[in-house]
Amino acid sequence: MRYITVEDLTFQYDSEPVLEGINYYVDSGEFVTLTGENGAAKSTLIKATLGILTPKVGKVTMSKTNKDGKKLRLAYLPQQIASFNAGFPSTVYEFVKSGRYPRNGWFRRLDKHDEEHIKVSLEAVGMWENRHKRIGSLSGGQKQRAVIARMFASDPDIFVLDEPTTGMDAGTTKTFYELMHHSAHKHGKSVLMITHDPDEVKDYADRNIHLVRNQDLPWRCFNVHENDQKGDNHVH
Amino acid sequence: MFMKMIRKGIIMFTEIFAYDFMQRAILAVVAISIFAPILGMFLILRRQSLMSDTLSHVSLAGVAFGIMLGVSTTWSTIAVVTVAAVVLEYLRTVYKHYMEISTAILMSLGLAISLIIMSKSGNAGSVSLEQYLFGSIITISQEQVIALFVIAVIVLLLTILFIRPMYILTFDEDTALVDGLPVRLMSILFNVVTGIAIALTIPAAGALLVSTIMVLPASIAMRLGKNFKSVIFIGILIGFIGMVAGIIGSYYWETPASATITMIFISIFLLVSLVGMLGKKL
Repeated sequence: MRYITVEDLTFQYDSEPVLEGINYYVDSGEFVTLTGENGAAKSTLIKATLGILTPKVGKVTMSKTNKDGKKLRLAYLPQQIASFNAGFPSTVYEFVKSGRYPRNGWFRRLDKHDEEHIKVSLEAVGMWENRHKRIGSLSGGQKQRAVIARMFASDPDIFVLDEPTTGMDAGTTKTFYELMHHSAHKHGKSVLMITHDPDEVKDYADRNIHLVRNQDLPWRCFNVHENDQKGDNHVH
Repeated sequence: MFMKMIRKGIIMFTEIFAYDFMQRAILAVVAISIFAPILGMFLILRRQSLMSDTLSHVSLAGVAFGIMLGVSTTWSTIAVVTVAAVVLEYLRTVYKHYMEISTAILMSLGLAISLIIMSKSGNAGSVSLEQYLFGSIITISQEQVIALFVIAVIVLLLTILFIRPMYILTFDEDTALVDGLPVRLMSILFNVVTGIAIALTIPAAGALLVSTIMVLPASIAMRLGKNFKSVIFIGILIGFIGMVAGIIGSYYWETPASATITMIFISIFLLVSLVGMLGKKL
């Protein structure tokens, strides 16, 4: 099922567009990576797709429902989200719990099922023992894992990730990619992930969208170039 | 010796609370200490600590308008501050990476307008404007005390209802947007409520010191509390203790109440920071 369709998107910060004529899609059950040189407006493309930024031209269509006919849910992991305000008064548990709120929980009391989900999410990133710590007191890598646990707790249909493994060690990174691959292939979720290291993730991802600079233009403007076909990947 | 001190203390309190104006002052403090730390915490987390300063300067323009037009300064201030709060949100999105620019622009504008209006309307309002500039909690009227309680109840109810959305909004606005929250609307409403609260606090605290009362109890509480709720509770407690102590102190030392309250908050802040630093070293 098609979750995200981006058609002919053009985005500009000042007078000249940084992204022009962008077309891409993301289906349920696939793990898609987004690559491009530094300054290729990868984060901008994701923000425009999510509606955080408004494109100048073009259309972004987000499916209203997921493959089971329920309301489609998104989770977004912004770049360097983990460098948050050290004084933010919250425990790790409270923070991960907040991932459950968008699922009708803004005003509803959370139940056993929610609590179980929070626990599983914290355990998945190895942060259950740290759940009573203040998030500001965590190390960079732990903060990143807390943010990822919040994302898992929200149990989304689409994971939109902007360089999520920054600050993670090699082992945790590998486990994270395996989890994302599993979520896509076993649970039909979709993953759209910006990465600066496509080689690292090539065994897990299904498809790569590569942003390339349009050399005909004197300013830096990028278009989409897809370079991997779906289906020829496998997990070791 | 100890009993003597307690007896002296009781006499002191009965003496203070025999006065009507002191009773009103204490009631005003109770109301302010409920809403100020809550709004203060959100202001700090949204990196808008200076917004209370801006809105208080803007509210001076509201007072000046009220005096010039001969209408209630409370309503004119609320009107002007509400407009400013909306403009502030707009400027915040325009200067996303330089939020303090919007604060500086509006602060100067508020002061400039109030000074121009006052210069044109002669000396009639200067006494009254001075009262708003420095505030005087002991000359607060019964209506003003009631207004403070109304805004305290509103802020408390809104906080209880919307603590979860506010948690996400103050953590990261992009995350809040993707989580489906009406970020812009929430920001504007928050600014407006804060603006009204500030406008109502000014007769008591004065434009110059209102941000102290908004920001200091919250910043002390943020050093002590582990999560959102505990920060709010500690903030309310510290706000109440600091303000009551300030009023009693000002009565005995014959010092301005709002300045005394500020000094007490700063002392608590230094003490908490010092204890925190020592605690880390030990």
